[in-house]
Amino acid sequence: MSVSSFIAKLAGATALVGLSALAVQAQTSGEPVKIGAIVSVTGAGAGLGVPERNGLLLAEKDINAKGGIKGRPIKFIVEDDASNPDTALSKANDLIFGQKVQALLGPSLTASTVAVGGVTHANKIPQIAFTGIGPAVERERKCVAHVLPPQRLNAMALLEYAKSIKAAKVGVLHDAGYGNVVMAELKPLADKYGVKLVAVEKFEIGATDTTTQAAKVKAAQPDAVFIIATSATPFRNVKQIQIAQPVIAAIGSSSYEYVNAMGPAADNIVIPEFVVGEDPLPHQKDFVELYKKTYNATPKNYEAAAWDAAHIIAAALNKAGADATGEKLCDAMKAPYSGVLANYNFSADDMTGIPISSFVFSKLVGGKYTRTPFRVAQ
Amino acid sequence: MTLSLVLQALFAGVTNGIVYALVGMGLSAIFKGSRVINAMQGEFAVIGAMTTVLLLTKTGWPYAAAIAGGAVAGALVGAFIEVAFVRYMAKKNASEDSFLLLTIGLALTLSASVLFFIGRDGHLLPPLGGEGVLIILDAVIQFHALWLIAIGIGATLALRAFYHRTTIGLSMMAASIDADGAATTGINVARMRTFTFVLGGLLGALGGILVTPLIGVDYQLGLNLTLKGFAAAVLGGLTNPLGAAVGGLTLGLVESLAIIGISSSYKDVVAFSVLIIIMILMPQGILGRAGRRGG
Repeated sequence: MSVSSFIAKLAGATALVGLSALAVQAQTSGEPVKIGAIVSVTGAGAGLGVPERNGLLLAEKDINAKGGIKGRPIKFIVEDDASNPDTALSKANDLIFGQKVQALLGPSLTASTVAVGGVTHANKIPQIAFTGIGPAVERERKCVAHVLPPQRLNAMALLEYAKSIKAAKVGVLHDAGYGNVVMAELKPLADKYGVKLVAVEKFEIGATDTTTQAAKVKAAQPDAVFIIATSATPFRNVKQIQIAQPVIAAIGSSSYEYVNAMGPAADNIVIPEFVVGEDPLPHQKDFVELYKKTYNATPKNYEAAAWDAAHIIAAALNKAGADATGEKLCDAMKAPYSGVLANYNFSADDMTGIPISSFVFSKLVGGKYTRTPFRVAQ
Repeated sequence: MTLSLVLQALFAGVTNGIVYALVGMGLSAIFKGSRVINAMQGEFAVIGAMTTVLLLTKTGWPYAAAIAGGAVAGALVGAFIEVAFVRYMAKKNASEDSFLLLTIGLALTLSASVLFFIGRDGHLLPPLGGEGVLIILDAVIQFHALWLIAIGIGATLALRAFYHRTTIGLSMMAASIDADGAATTGINVARMRTFTFVLGGLLGALGGILVTPLIGVDYQLGLNLTLKGFAAAVLGGLTNPLGAAVGGLTLGLVESLAIIGISSSYKDVVAFSVLIIIMILMPQGILGRAGRRGG
């Protein structure tokens, strides 16, 4: 008996004693089922790609511990696109034609997703991207699914919360990248929610000071302020000039990285997001515990999104067969799925099917995340 | 547009302007003394601020000592770069573009090193004067920003006195204006160039330490500061560190007044159009030739 099979048997024995869920070391054997994954581990998107890689590798262990794909181990071949769409494309070509993967997970960024989608769509390789649906062309790619909400849904979540606190006048601070995209969806929706945008102020990506923009928002005397950005700067400036109104931030600034950089400004800020690791929803608990135990850190949304994508593809393979790919695997993937991050239904028009009821509203209090009881009804 | 909004824009403009000025002054001090356009001036700010953060959080030094440590770190890195790279390249008669390439390379290397060794997270420093604020007509300014403005003005005046009143400052000016002439009067031209980099590193680090309580420091801050500081320096006349101070203030004020006067969407369009017009009308910089003689 080899050492590894001895360990596997030992782990199997431990499972019988029922020590822990992960120790259920079901036997997987045979040729691994190869799934490609592209994430941005370096470059501007590293804040997304690094947590996504952690989520994927944890999911791989979890899936294999629970029996893999019909007894065969699943193997994620993880590649870094350095936050560059060209690199993402060449990695995708290599994974699909060189390594012969059956499906592709990722990439982390919208531009890379659009680029890679061109290849997966043309070659009928199922793909689950860690982005929200982007430009119109993505709606035609019926086998490129998305595990994060489209920006329209993010905009709706902001407005739902504003409505719930009866904020009729709202000021907006947004950056020229991510903020612009969400803003384009937010503007036409505001009326429907009875929200008037009294000041909309923009600042460049990487701006080191947005005080004057914040002062213009303050001068418009809004009932609440939306901040749509991927940096801590506007949050600090809003508190520096003593805007006392509630701040509602888009999911882009929900990471620990930004919240830590806010310092004392990380207070009385509400964020519509999905995973509050400090106080997870019942169906998120197992994932959060496992993640904490493995990485000694608390997971957030991107870890959970990658974890869900990995489990969705595994469930689809278990249904359609371990060698399935193309349309067969794609069809299997389209079954509704209740994940850690959200409930998905990839047969929906927006290729994600996340309902607004999946949002959780966290509130930063003294630099710590708390979960508010507010949820949007379906 | 209310008076309080204008005042708020002036506060923000002057605060940002002083930061641009400190970076710009370091940049033009180095250009004046060595003809090197230092594309890593913003990295001095990151080095100074990060060193202060580490000394404060990891070794528990008192804040004043940590600040001094950060400033010294900037000065030492400046000296190291001159001795290890610039001196050697100057001996081989490297061209101005080679020096530019050197400093761009160093900027990228330093930024990547901070990312690798310290990580992606932003860090803050405690504000001088605590979290207190001054409120005038509903416009708010942090006590720290007032300190930043006062120290920035102090540094500008000290720099002027240094160049005009001290032997070493006069020697540095002589060495930069006419290297051969200075050498014949017994000035060690190579050493003056080292001092120039020490001065640039010191000013950059000081700017970084002062700005960190307001905006935080991370590995990406350097390039942003370099760009604004470079605009400030060119605006004031690149060879005149005092011009950089005027240039920095102009840039900061134009930016923030553009936001309230026109629209935040067109802030950069307005700010940089104004700069282009100034450069067309005053190609020698705001202080012109008169300013160049002094400085």
